[in-house]
Order: sequence, then C-alpha cells, then structure tokens
Amino acid sequence: MADGDKKRVLVIDDASLVRLYYRDALERGGFQVDEALNGLEAFEKLTMDSPDLLVVDVNMPRMDGMTFLRLLRRQAGPIGSTPALVTSTEAGVQDMAAARAAGANFYLTKPVAQDTLALYAAMLCGIPA
Amino acid sequence: MGGDDGKVLAALTSGTNDQRWAAARAAGDIPGGVQALGRALSSEADPRLREAFFTSLMRARSLEAVDAVLPHLRSDDANLRTGALDALRGMAETAAPRLPILLSDQDADVRLLACEILRDLPSAEATPLLCRLLEREGQVNVCASAVEVLAEIGGPEALPALAACAARFPNEPFLVFSIKAASARIGGQPPEHG
Amino acid sequence: MTEEEFQRLCDFLYRRTGMLFGEAKRYYVERRITERMGATGATSFASYFARLRGDVRGEIEQFVNAFTVNETYFYREDHQLQCLTSDLLRERLKGKPRGEAVRIWSVPCSTGEEPYSIAIWLLENWPQVDSHDIEILGSDIDTGVLEAARAGVYGKRALMRLGPELIERYFEQIDDEHWRVLADLRGSVRFSPVNLVESAETRPNGRFDVIFCRNVLIYFDDASRRVAAENLYENLAPGGFICLGHSESMSRISPLFEVCRYADAIVYQRPLEAARG
Repeated sequence: MADGDKKRVLVIDDASLVRLYYRDALERGGFQVDEALNGLEAFEKLTMDSPDLLVVDVNMPRMDGMTFLRLLRRQAGPIGSTPALVTSTEAGVQDMAAARAAGANFYLTKPVAQDTLALYAAMLCGIPA
Repeated sequence: MGGDDGKVLAALTSGTNDQRWAAARAAGDIPGGVQALGRALSSEADPRLREAFFTSLMRARSLEAVDAVLPHLRSDDANLRTGALDALRGMAETAAPRLPILLSDQDADVRLLACEILRDLPSAEATPLLCRLLEREGQVNVCASAVEVLAEIGGPEALPALAACAARFPNEPFLVFSIKAASARIGGQPPEHG
Repeated sequence: MTEEEFQRLCDFLYRRTGMLFGEAKRYYVERRITERMGATGATSFASYFARLRGDVRGEIEQFVNAFTVNETYFYREDHQLQCLTSDLLRERLKGKPRGEAVRIWSVPCSTGEEPYSIAIWLLENWPQVDSHDIEILGSDIDTGVLEAARAGVYGKRALMRLGPELIERYFEQIDDEHWRVLADLRGSVRFSPVNLVESAETRPNGRFDVIFCRNVLIYFDDASRRVAAENLYENLAPGGFICLGHSESMSRISPLFEVCRYADAIVYQRPLEAARG
C-alpha cells in the first residue's frame, strides 16, 4: 500500500515504550504513525497534519489527555472532530464516562493489547473488516 | 501576618482571573502561602491559573510545598494529577523523603505517578527504589511505569529485578515487551529466570 | 555507542527538549558525544549520560549547542520576520486602539543583531511602517552585550545575510572589518537589562504585541522555564505572539500559550479571552 493510502494515526503518550509498542502494532496493521508526548505537542502536530485517528493517553506532563480532548473538541472545522481513542489506566465506569464527556469516541483500559489497538483503530478509521 | 499578605492569600480564591493570577505568583513567598496555594488548587478551575499555583509551589522547593501538592496526586481530575506530578518532578530532591511511602501507597495510581518522580532523581537514588517496587508490585501498570523510568535511568544492577518482574507476569505482553526493551537499553540481556 | 545507547539518548533528548534525533543524525550525535566525553572527562557512555541527565554544569546546553544555530547575525531565522509582517502584525492591528504603539520585544537580544534586524525588516518590508508608532526593545541579562548593542558595531560575519543595498542603507563602514548601524536606526531601538526569571524585572516593561525569545528557554531548568514563561505571558497583550527558536517548543515549557501556524512560521499566542477549563 502506498504511504499516501494509509490511514494516519497520531499516538499521544508520554511513555516512550508505550509509543513504541503501539507503533509496532499500528504499522503492522497498515497504519502510518506519528507521535506526540503530550497534549501540547499533539496540537503542534495537528497544525501540520490531519491524522485520521488520535490515540490519546490521559496522564501526560504539561497537558493531560482530557484537557487536550476538551480543547480539541472546541476547535472549529474538521480537526476538532478527529476520532479519538482514549487509553487510560483507569478502569472505572466514571472514568469512561468522563472520557466520553471530554469527547472520546472510544476508551481502552491500559495495558492495551496490540491486536485490540489495531482492531479498534481500524474500526474508528472506517476500515472494513 | 501583615495586612497585605492577608490580602494576597484571600485573593487566591476570590477576585478576577488577573487578581487570582497575581496572588498565585506572589503567595509562594509569604508565610502560610504554600499551604494556602495547596488548598486553593482544590477550588481553582482555570488551567492557566492552576499552572501558576503549581509553579509557585514548585519554586518554594520545601517539604511543606511537597506536602501541599501531594493530595492533588490523588485527584480524579487528570489536569490536577498531572499538574501535581509536574510540580513534584520539578522539586524531586525535596520530595525524596516522601517517595518510599508514595511507592507503597494503597492507591495504584499514586504508586504509578510516584515512579515518574524518580526519573528526576540521581540514578543511584532512584534505581534501588524502582527495583524494590518491581519485586513486589502487583499492578501491571505500576510495574510498566517503573520499567519506563528504568529504561532511561537504570544500570546493570536493575537487570535482575526486571527479569524477575517479567517472570511474574508472563501473560502481560506489554510489560514483557517493555522489560525486554528496557533491559536492552540498559545494555544487557536479562538473565534467564527458570 | 551501541544502538540501545543511541535510543536511550534520543528518547531522553526528545522528552526533555522536543528535538528529534533519528538515524539520519546518528553520525553527528556520535561525534558530539565523543567531543563532550572528551571535554568532560567521562570515561564511558553511561557516565556521560548520567551527567547529561543531571544537566551537570549545563551539559544539555553544551550538547545541544552543536545542533542549533548559536551564532547571532542579522536576519537570522528570517522566516519569523516574514511571519511578523505577513501575519502577526496584521492580527495585532485588528484589535489595536488608534494611536497605540506596536511594541516588539527581543529578549535575549545579545549584541543587538535581532532587534536591529526587526527594525530593518519592518522598514524594508512593512508598507504600514510609517503609519504606526513602533517601539522595539532589546533586553538581555548581560549588560556587556547591551553596551555592544547600543554601540551597534558589527563585523562581516554578522552582516553576511544582508545584501549590499541594505548595508549601504543602514550602516556606515568605519574600517575594513567593521560597520556601524546608522544613528537614526540605533536611536529607534531601546536596550535595557532584564533577568527573564525575575518578575520584578520583567513586569515594568509592560505588554508587547510580539516577543522574540529565541534559544534561551530550552536551556533553563524546569522551574526557571515555567517562571520565565509566566513572566513572558504577563508581558504579552492578550492575543500577542511569542516566537521561540526553531528547535524549541512550548510543549516542553508551558501550557499557557496556544500554538498558531502561519505560512512562514509556527508561533505561540496568549489567548484573547480568559481561559475556560
């Protein structure tokens, strides 16, 4: 598949090994992957590129994932509606609800398995099974 | 307490954004300010103001400031949690006495975040604490947090603890992956664990 | 240096500074490590890395220096100057009351190349330059460089990006190797000392429309970065812009500003209205 046809995912997580793990899963799944280490860097990346999907961790320095998502959803235009899959160490119902309220399209509890990530990434990007 | 000092502390929780901002930046330098800053964070919703509050606490660089920040590490609000973590990391040496307790806190999230504070301590101080955690920690995400930090700061002395942790969680693919990657970064293959 | 050591170093620098060192830069990274190990007397990569992590004697700056443009000269990173006249000033003028000056701050200004460049650029590229009161302030913590800035004398290297017409127009040659900024232009830029980390020193400078703060915040420790960012925030009018060095990012410094992308540059903005969480 030419790079131009691949769906693009921006992985936003401050843990380098998590980003590495997700990158491995997503690249094998046929995605093109870019990375950001916190919500602020994610916004910088979004000024340069429009990914098809955001994978957003919650606990990040300088700007956490929930704050990022809330600010993102307030933006006018298509960027503001980019699908977002939130990953979090929290497994409680209220945390999932909070993520939805912030604007998450989907929520996965960490640690996220590689095939789970690739599966839901494909779904959120509208890639047929 | 001087009248002006009292005004500054009162302004932390009242007045316009600009007034609370000015108070936040001044409060760290006055008696009782650190405690007042810590309390005011609980009712401050504006993220830019929270940033100013946490910066003042970080600048205070005292155990009182650390203790004023610590409760927010437990917050349900991700912004407060991560703000607290940033502030503690910025005064990691000052926070060091509190770390062993944080690393055995009942709340797994607190233990997880406490590992991150260790990143900003000298490796000689932080590595033994992280290795001890890896030997007994039951929560996979907390282990992963420790491994992530060891990947940056760990030396060969961390390899046995890493290997032992991988052996305890054979069915946790991400943790096994991280331990392998961290061990390679440290520059050794993890010793075989039977 | 092994592959793993390289990875470890890259991850650390990315986390700390936002700079991405990949395989393409590997040769240069290895060379710099060797240089710095020699300079610091480190006998192993591990001991050097510990030094880098602890930022011992500003080792991060020493290391990263080799990868950023440190020399100061006229029209350095002029894409930001282009952005200034193409976009930033236009934005700033939208809300500006009649008669209110356009205020621009260059901090640190070092020996003055940056603020004088701003002045020259405006005269050369901004059609509205005569319709507005413009204040350009250059500040630095080092009073020695401020003296040099006021004197406005430069050598060939500093002028290397200026064409002969610009040199002719704005400088007088004083000897074979030196040119001096003409008196009119010298008079249009004010210089004053400031410590970016001291709000008592930054506040009196008032609010600016645009601040150029290049290649200094990246080297501050966490606490100093935040304090400096808060000071700079106070010195920006709501809606005002701050430009960092091209290897720098607010993502490692402060959440106070919003990122704005324009054709010529990525800059940061103090929001126009009070934030809502």
